[in-house]
Amino acid sequence: MSNFTPAEIYKELLEEAISQGEARKEKTRVLVGTATCGVAAGALKIKEDFLREIESKNLSDDVDVFEVGCIGHCYAEPLAIIAKPGHPAICYGRLDDGLVHRLVEDFLVADDPSYEYAMAALERNDVFPTFEDFPRGIYEKKLILEQCGFIDARDVNSYLAREGYSGLAKALVEKPEWVLEEIKAANLRGRGGAGFPAGLKWEACIKSKGDAIYVICNADEGDPGAFMDRSILESDPHLVIEGMILCAYTVGAQKGYLYIRAEYPRAVTHVQEALEQARMKGLLGNSILGTDFNFDLEIFQGSGAFVCGEATALVNSMEGKMGMPESRPPRLAQKGYRGKPTVLNNVKTFAYVPLIIRNGADWFKETGTPESPGTAVFSLVGKVVNTGLVEVPMGTTLRQLIYDVGDGLPNDREFKAVQIGGPSGGCLPESALDVPIDFDSLQDAGAIMGSGGLVVMDEDDCMVSVARYFLEFTQHESCGKCTFCRLGTKHMLDILTDITKGKGDGDSLALLEELAEDVRDGSLCNLGRTAPNPVLTTLKYFRDEYIAHIEEGRCPALACRDLILYYIEPPKCSKLCNVCVGSCPTEAIFTRDDGLKEIDQEKCVKCDNCLKACPGEYNAVVKISPPVLPPEKVRVAK
Amino acid sequence: MQLIEGEKDQILAIVGEVLKNSPKQREDLIPLLQKVQAKLGYLPALAMEKIADGLNIPAADVYGLATFYNQFRLNPPGKHQVKVCLGTACYMVGGDITLESFERRMEIKEGETSPDRLYSLERVACVGCCTMAPVAVVDEEVEGKVTPTRVDGIMLALQDEEKKNEKELKSNQEEGEDA
Amino acid sequence: MSEYVNITIDGHDIKAKKGERVLWAALDNDIYIPHLCGIRQEERPNAGCRLCFVEVEGASRPVTSCTKNVEEGMVITTRSERVDRLVKTAFELILSDHNLKCRECPANRSCVLQDIAKKRKIKLRHDRFKSIVREFEIDDSPAEFAFDRSRCVLCGQCIWADREEAKVGAIGFTKRGINRVVTTFKDLPLAESICTQCLLCVEACPVGALYYKKNESDDSNKNSEKNS
Repeated sequence: MSNFTPAEIYKELLEEAISQGEARKEKTRVLVGTATCGVAAGALKIKEDFLREIESKNLSDDVDVFEVGCIGHCYAEPLAIIAKPGHPAICYGRLDDGLVHRLVEDFLVADDPSYEYAMAALERNDVFPTFEDFPRGIYEKKLILEQCGFIDARDVNSYLAREGYSGLAKALVEKPEWVLEEIKAANLRGRGGAGFPAGLKWEACIKSKGDAIYVICNADEGDPGAFMDRSILESDPHLVIEGMILCAYTVGAQKGYLYIRAEYPRAVTHVQEALEQARMKGLLGNSILGTDFNFDLEIFQGSGAFVCGEATALVNSMEGKMGMPESRPPRLAQKGYRGKPTVLNNVKTFAYVPLIIRNGADWFKETGTPESPGTAVFSLVGKVVNTGLVEVPMGTTLRQLIYDVGDGLPNDREFKAVQIGGPSGGCLPESALDVPIDFDSLQDAGAIMGSGGLVVMDEDDCMVSVARYFLEFTQHESCGKCTFCRLGTKHMLDILTDITKGKGDGDSLALLEELAEDVRDGSLCNLGRTAPNPVLTTLKYFRDEYIAHIEEGRCPALACRDLILYYIEPPKCSKLCNVCVGSCPTEAIFTRDDGLKEIDQEKCVKCDNCLKACPGEYNAVVKISPPVLPPEKVRVAK
Repeated sequence: MQLIEGEKDQILAIVGEVLKNSPKQREDLIPLLQKVQAKLGYLPALAMEKIADGLNIPAADVYGLATFYNQFRLNPPGKHQVKVCLGTACYMVGGDITLESFERRMEIKEGETSPDRLYSLERVACVGCCTMAPVAVVDEEVEGKVTPTRVDGIMLALQDEEKKNEKELKSNQEEGEDA
Repeated sequence: MSEYVNITIDGHDIKAKKGERVLWAALDNDIYIPHLCGIRQEERPNAGCRLCFVEVEGASRPVTSCTKNVEEGMVITTRSERVDRLVKTAFELILSDHNLKCRECPANRSCVLQDIAKKRKIKLRHDRFKSIVREFEIDDSPAEFAFDRSRCVLCGQCIWADREEAKVGAIGFTKRGINRVVTTFKDLPLAESICTQCLLCVEACPVGALYYKKNESDDSNKNSEKNS
């Protein structure tokens, strides 16, 4: 043990971090958002553009360019924050090389912040509104996403300077029981999907007598349509690490693992660096902050099996076996990794822990509802204007989330459904939009919180096809161990496929529903048990769409490709334009003798290119369902 | 698949080195396979056999694991790997159409490698860039908004790169012959 | 602490060994519960076949008896509407992926599937689920036995015999989901694998997937099967 108290050691680390931060602030800083989504939008090129422009203006000594994570406004990627002394830090979105050139010239060289290109300021000021001033600001409340995209994820000092690890310093002078009581009092419910109270999980682990206890973070975020765990690990890894250390201190663990999907290489790199830096600072490893508490963390890279998000399957895969679920009990708290008591929590769950310890359970409970305190984090995607990461208090309604935070649907399309919880969740209709977002209300409505993927769908999305999509996913990802999941999902998928091809019959729906219920009731693990949810909810809320497919061979959303055809309406087609012909990848569109364009249905692969390509003033390409061409004379006449 | 002599030595050397630097418990199996695949691009049967020997477990178990997880490949991948995301957000805006476009342009099906081993095409569940949908990962670079037209652009760029490489190779060879 | 606990199954009072699972306690007392994958010695039951559902008083839904430990005073019913529905669906799902040419099968009349069908009065041939068509080649490379995967129900009994009894490790599960299959390393024919042809797996197979070859004179029969 050290001669200094954790508080003293922490104070020294904090001062060092702050002074480094202050020194940085004397220079102008350009922070480019380079989380995976930013990179996909070209953020690395934008960073190069900044560096090049800055160098060409001989500003390299005065301006630092950093990479930061994701601020959640993904719709405006690529984006960057410019913090120049004497100005509020300002965020600019939808950057390209021209705009970068402009910003360097006008703002960095001259002193004009080019407000016309700015999205928002990051701190309150008299000149320009902040993100909180956006209409959505009323509904958003950032707890675990607060620092994401604003701090340098690759520098522990950046986290430390904003009170990072202060929760750990505070906890280490208390007994582990104090931390447990605080987490229990906060009623922190697991953010992995089911909402089991984290404190009870930890307590069960303490109570089961085992010689070694492991702490594992489940970052095997496999839900298609969810990416908040990736974003947090890429943008603020120390928050999760501090949460895990606090958990380890509470339950008496010396070793922990972060189980991260192999598909998230950037998250792996950032966490790896963060672990090394935390060790260097004495925040991880032996005698943490000078105490006799030892705990170390390692990364285990998942190898791409959705089922490994299930606790027992995850442990099996860590033990070098196929990631297949086991029947429970025993639970992980009794018999987990290497047969020892194990705490397994989701990324977000761990991320709340430092904040609760830092600010107290009461502070946490100020947000959200009594049964589901705190916030909910969603990746808001699909047919919504403001796609991105959002964090709202539990109890916010779906309507507020989609229309106020997300700013509604683009292109004046009608809302049809919102899919929550990925393959284990359900599709909720307009009538369910006033359901408050919390663990229990969503479950009652037929969906689940899941890991927080939220996909908005409009009138162009076919609910049968969406259900089929999810079944295809679960069927593909089924481990194959149990009969219901291995064969039940296969038959459900086959029935759904038949329906989307217009081959369903009168008995299809009854059989589908029966089978869905049996797979739900009979499967071995929760993945199998929840796999029918997308089917059961769409059958419940959108049965008429199923019936249209079966009885009329018609897809009301014009989405099922076997039930539509593409057709160029003669009265609308301009004979002079050739755009559709050029857009067709299979040369299916030809010019008729009368100059009009027509689609050779034999050759058409229904790729949608021509419909997108046809100029807006004509809009001559349409989809028709059922796939029956209008009579010959209509097609010839003009 | 038949291995040629050089390949066999290379595989043995790499597996030997990876095994030497790793603990050899059953629980080290997945990390071991990941390391070998990172170096070889795939898991040849010979490598699986040697790893099984090294960990003293049945080769059938290593084979079972390698065929269970999406990440592992039993055949060498193409020089350029394209992974098309079929996550929910991508699917909804035509991820399947993107995949089909790649299939058409590469003249292979999803999960296959072109006969000249230049291209391989896979589907992935979700790369977590849903706001950029539809997304494809081209040689580790995430590409957003990959419409069929963009697919053509990506393929053209890859083909150009190959042509350039070929030219360089040729001129290098010619230089070599001259010397 | 006594070594036994008192439980009731279908109204019969039964003394069961502490730590025993309900499935084996029932079977020991001649109470039938259908099952395929259960292995008594297995520390953590596979619980994959989903045929051994029972009702346990106090439980909100049917539970698999192979995973449920007996407890003092436990009241169990082996049949109920819910149990029968789940068992019927699970059984029909298994049959939808099973080669139903029973007359050509060496296990005809000794097959566990036929036994379950008889005892639970479920038809072997049903039209609820379409049968899943697959192409499997019969592996007749071993001297005395052959392996027809089209009859395999993935119960894992052969793998247990291979691993735990014969201590060989020639076969295992590979692939995932609907493609899951029992096979050797690299899918080699058994005779080319490390299989010692000890025949324990053949003894363990509850259906006709692993079976003894007939005499030489019956070879023509086998070939026709292959072609069909």
